[in-house]
Amino acid sequence: MMIKPLAKALALGLLSVPLAQAQTAQDTSQQPGAAPGTQATQGNGIDPRRERLQLAGDSAVTSGNRFNPAISVILDGVYGNFSREVESPPGFDGGHDHSHGHGHGHSHGVEEGFQLREAEIAISGPVDPYFDMMVQLGVTENDIEIEEAYITTRALPAGFQIKAGKFLSDVGYINRQHIHDWDFVDQPWMREFMFGDEGLGDTGLQFSWLPPTVNYTRIGFEVLEGNNPGVANNIGSERVALTSVENLGGTPNRIRFRDYNGLDDKTGPRLFTLFGNYAPDIGFDHAIQFGASAGHATSFQDQEFHSSGRLETWDGDSWFAGLDVVYKYNGAGVMGHGNITLQGEYLLRTKELNYVEREFDSTSSFGAPSVDRDLRFKQDALYVQGVYGFAPRWNAGLRLDAIGMTNDSFDGGDREDASTSYRYTGQVSYAPTEFSRLRAQISYNDLHEGHDHDGHGHNAWQLMLQYNISLGEHGAHSF
Amino acid sequence: MRRISLLLLLILIPALAQANVRIAATVPNMGMLAKEIGGEHVQVTVMAPADRDPHYLDARPSMMAALRRADLVVAVGAELEVGWLPAAIQGAQNRRVQEGQGGYFEGAAHIERIGEGGPADRSGGDVHPMGNPHFYLDPERMATVGEALAQRLGRLDEANQDYYLERAADFRQAIESRLPDWKEQAEDAPGVVLYHKDADYLMKLLGVPVKGYLEPLPGIPPTAQHLASLVRELRGEQGVVLYTNFQPSQGGEFLQRELDWPARQLASQVPVDGTREHYFQMINQWVEALTP
Repeated sequence: MMIKPLAKALALGLLSVPLAQAQTAQDTSQQPGAAPGTQATQGNGIDPRRERLQLAGDSAVTSGNRFNPAISVILDGVYGNFSREVESPPGFDGGHDHSHGHGHGHSHGVEEGFQLREAEIAISGPVDPYFDMMVQLGVTENDIEIEEAYITTRALPAGFQIKAGKFLSDVGYINRQHIHDWDFVDQPWMREFMFGDEGLGDTGLQFSWLPPTVNYTRIGFEVLEGNNPGVANNIGSERVALTSVENLGGTPNRIRFRDYNGLDDKTGPRLFTLFGNYAPDIGFDHAIQFGASAGHATSFQDQEFHSSGRLETWDGDSWFAGLDVVYKYNGAGVMGHGNITLQGEYLLRTKELNYVEREFDSTSSFGAPSVDRDLRFKQDALYVQGVYGFAPRWNAGLRLDAIGMTNDSFDGGDREDASTSYRYTGQVSYAPTEFSRLRAQISYNDLHEGHDHDGHGHNAWQLMLQYNISLGEHGAHSF
Repeated sequence: MRRISLLLLLILIPALAQANVRIAATVPNMGMLAKEIGGEHVQVTVMAPADRDPHYLDARPSMMAALRRADLVVAVGAELEVGWLPAAIQGAQNRRVQEGQGGYFEGAAHIERIGEGGPADRSGGDVHPMGNPHFYLDPERMATVGEALAQRLGRLDEANQDYYLERAADFRQAIESRLPDWKEQAEDAPGVVLYHKDADYLMKLLGVPVKGYLEPLPGIPPTAQHLASLVRELRGEQGVVLYTNFQPSQGGEFLQRELDWPARQLASQVPVDGTREHYFQMINQWVEALTP
């Protein structure tokens, strides 16, 4: 009595397996790479149960490398030829005024001759439903640097977002852009000399909010560790040492002078920023965005230790504030033809620093300060630039840099004679596709005479040629 | 504190007083579809204009503002909007419309795509390994996507599930009643040269051979060499050259001179506030343009 339904079930099972297989065979036969002959074996009278064993189980059911994030490599190469050595604008000169530390990490500046500026490796993608991650490495011939490495939330309600890690600050407009986003070979003076070669990039947290308004509005603040040569330089307490040798004719006697630099260790966060953007909707073909930002560093320190045994230190705090505006027009032409981008930014920076100069009075201690003075640095910079797509694939741009319209700066403890310097730049670029770009640029540096009254001309022409090539999948660019 | 809550209320009230589902559509054709299916229960904002190539837009703040307020983004998909939509979504800080959420809808995910599985190698131009994304000029596929959209809207707004499904069925009905006429009109069409692969689906639907493309490779503007070789290949044949209102006309005009084929410029998107009537009218124009 039990046999009948069992046989029925068995018969059904035997029948349904080849049916199901025929179905899948048909489905897959349309895909490229489907196993050939799967349909043929159906008719051969092979026990379907055995066949099913043959078809599956010899390889893992795996997504392989399909979970790979978006990876792109962007090569940036430059050739530079300058009419003379290009100096920093007076008041912003790393060689004279050490209260802004240059030379940390690799430089995005352009040098003479051929130069592979960097290979930028960007890796990004969603981590899970809650986080996105982005890592951007700057690889040069001598080092690898994490330019950015951060996570952003994707599931916070009500338009809130948190970013955590090392990232380029959202203050201003051009600060968060990478080399391949720039419309010129080099960055505006404003970013280079106010924040340092690599802009304001720091480790910390960013909180931002986008209210549900008709016109785009975004406000936010950042809490950052405070390591930036322009606005939040950090040295901390450390021992400086000088070794000299006495009695060179007789028995050499080594003398070591050593003492603390007198600066305090200050635990981060030391840098706090605020930013806001507003972009009224002005139609499909136009876009304009206004931004304002400010920042305060609770600590700014710098030191210079001379081989004479003299130590100079600067210790205090700083703040900055800026305005930016960007306008873009989307022309009707192909490949950027007719597009216009206009942008301008202004930034003001103040540093209130206590300047101390000391010399060793014994091998184990500095004497009382020979100079102890409060200095107030106040400097500003701006740039305006425009780029026009004059033909498909081609664009041309002009940029004006002005720096030091207000230029209260000091060389050591002494007031520097420094005023406004200008740079005029023109570029033409050709982009065969959106993934490759070739550019030629000419700049004229018109520097204020500053402290050098010895008749040297500071003005310099710069010619630069650049290629910027992007391979692989790179995330779309934000506005 | 009271003042702040009042302010918050003022900001939030307009958001609350809107339609059941707020939709941000990428291109006007998808906006049209969203309005056709959603009817009175949706409010649609279109992010891209009709007269610009959706491949080459940049993310604009107003796109982010629209996405910020949206419950649902309706995109063509298959990487057509890859140059701007992901950036705009990321900039919108709206968890509802993130990829993988119920508020993210790609039409191309719901249809069989031409050329899917091709090599992902950009030496072949601006290729779409996930298949041709330009399904929107194929009314049949638009009907299919409309049905998928109706299901999605029903999930976001369960009270009106049937309403959306009925409207999707009605949209399909309207297309199917016109289809025989379109096919008949296109029967004697000798063939077309397109600028880009954006009308492939329509030509396949109508059974009209595509004899070539003005672009040597997808996304690469026509070159003299490529146009000359097209002319060599097609001399003596009949056909028309069709290109859209954001594609340059020089290539088509060259073929017109050399081959004596008519070159016609057509819209590939309905107006931003377009309805199904605009869409059918646009398809009519393409069908009529097939006859030399």
